[in-house]
Amino acid sequence: MANELVSVRGVTLGYGSRIILKNLNFAIERGDFMGVMGPNGSGKTTLLKALLGLLTPLAGSIELAPRNGVPLRVGYVTQRERLDSHFPLSSLEVAVMGRFGMIGAMRRPRRQDYEIARGCLRRVGMEHRAALPYRELSGGQQQRILIARALAGEPDLLLLDEPTNGMDLEAERAIMELLLDLQSEKSTTIVFVTHLLSAIEHFARRVALITRDGTVIIGAKEQMLAPETIARAYASQEL
Amino acid sequence: MIDLLTVPFMRHTLIAGVLVALGLAPLSVYVVLRRIVFVGAAVAEISSAGVALAVLFQVEPFSVALVLTVLTFLGFSRAADSPRLPLEALIGMLYAGGSAAAVLLIVKAPRGEGEILNVLFGNILTVPVPLLWAMVATFAIVGALQFFASKELLISAYDPDMARALGINVNFWNTVFYVALGFAVAIAIRGVGALLTFTLLVAPGAAALCFVRGLGAAFVVATTMGLIATVVGVFASYVFDFPTGPTIVAILAAVFALSYAYAAVRGS
Repeated sequence: MANELVSVRGVTLGYGSRIILKNLNFAIERGDFMGVMGPNGSGKTTLLKALLGLLTPLAGSIELAPRNGVPLRVGYVTQRERLDSHFPLSSLEVAVMGRFGMIGAMRRPRRQDYEIARGCLRRVGMEHRAALPYRELSGGQQQRILIARALAGEPDLLLLDEPTNGMDLEAERAIMELLLDLQSEKSTTIVFVTHLLSAIEHFARRVALITRDGTVIIGAKEQMLAPETIARAYASQEL
Repeated sequence: MIDLLTVPFMRHTLIAGVLVALGLAPLSVYVVLRRIVFVGAAVAEISSAGVALAVLFQVEPFSVALVLTVLTFLGFSRAADSPRLPLEALIGMLYAGGSAAAVLLIVKAPRGEGEILNVLFGNILTVPVPLLWAMVATFAIVGALQFFASKELLISAYDPDMARALGINVNFWNTVFYVALGFAVAIAIRGVGALLTFTLLVAPGAAALCFVRGLGAAFVVATTMGLIATVVGVFASYVFDFPTGPTIVAILAAVFALSYAYAAVRGS
């Protein structure tokens, strides 16, 4: 129990009267590298939003264990397709956004915030792209910038929404290996949502599988990727 | 040409133009990026209807226009979240409804056409000194807000989910932005008219975004373009004896056309 970073107890999630996920009971442990997968529309992003605190559970509770009495810091890597490419932002300007929650209202980022953001770009191998427009980078490079942005907030828990969506296998491997490096380097707990079996199969250590009936099964990768488990989760999916 | 500055009303015209350009051009960057360009046009019509209503009932026009403008912008800040209806439909209907209401109200008003023409095409030549001071105060507050709350305004527009995850109250900052925009638009329309206000809310930002590579640069370039176009427009209207508002609008349109052509040639 002491190793639990996030405790999800009896949680039901949904929007208004529409229930998406029900009776969820699981824990995310410190240092976890967990992949969340499930059929399309099964509620992967809903679960992520609840973990982020963007969606209040209809029932039950989600508790984030404080670190030394300080609230847990959660970093979020959004789907890069959702960001508006009309904004003329440099990679550094995107990365420094990760500091915005730590600066205080109506205060501008200071030089040290930019230095920290630049350091995070260095960690993801993108410091040399700091001045370039974010929108002109490749999908894989943009994903690295978004990871750097989340790291700039010095998170204890990093949540990623479809981090390798739209990438070829090589780019997918590069991003997932980067995440593994970050996890082993600072023991950051990482949870990523994906609909790609390949990302789960090759990189996740534990897997949360959202089933068609709106529940979540969690276990070791080998157990979760067993054909009978997958079949259960995807059983009623319409193709 | 310098003798323009010795004519009192032209001095006021120049000052009013400069103030409105300084106030609206930086806002135009966000108006374009937030895809609410035609909100400016619709709100201008609502503001016109407000003035017509005030003229009809013989009350102070600016207060009515201000209240309607701010309320309309607040309505838009909520409507943006509606899953049922594209915002464009609402904007279109408010534009049409506002225009019709303004015309219908003004034909029954004791001072008819002159008043509505004043609102629609502006009277930058007759901006009274108290209104100039009100512009200074309003645009200073709106400008300071944009400067100090730059990170909140940016992330609320660019990545609302990330903003919420960071503990930033997106709804609050969107409301603040729309209220500030409402005040700026209301006072600008009162001073220089709907057409010039709408153009300054779009053209500088749209032109700047055609070729800048950073958001900070977009604000600087948009403000510089708006300022130069306005000053040149005031001088040109004086020299060539053109109406001042439309002259500035024509120059801003030309600036945008050149910027757009430049971006098209560069392939960006």
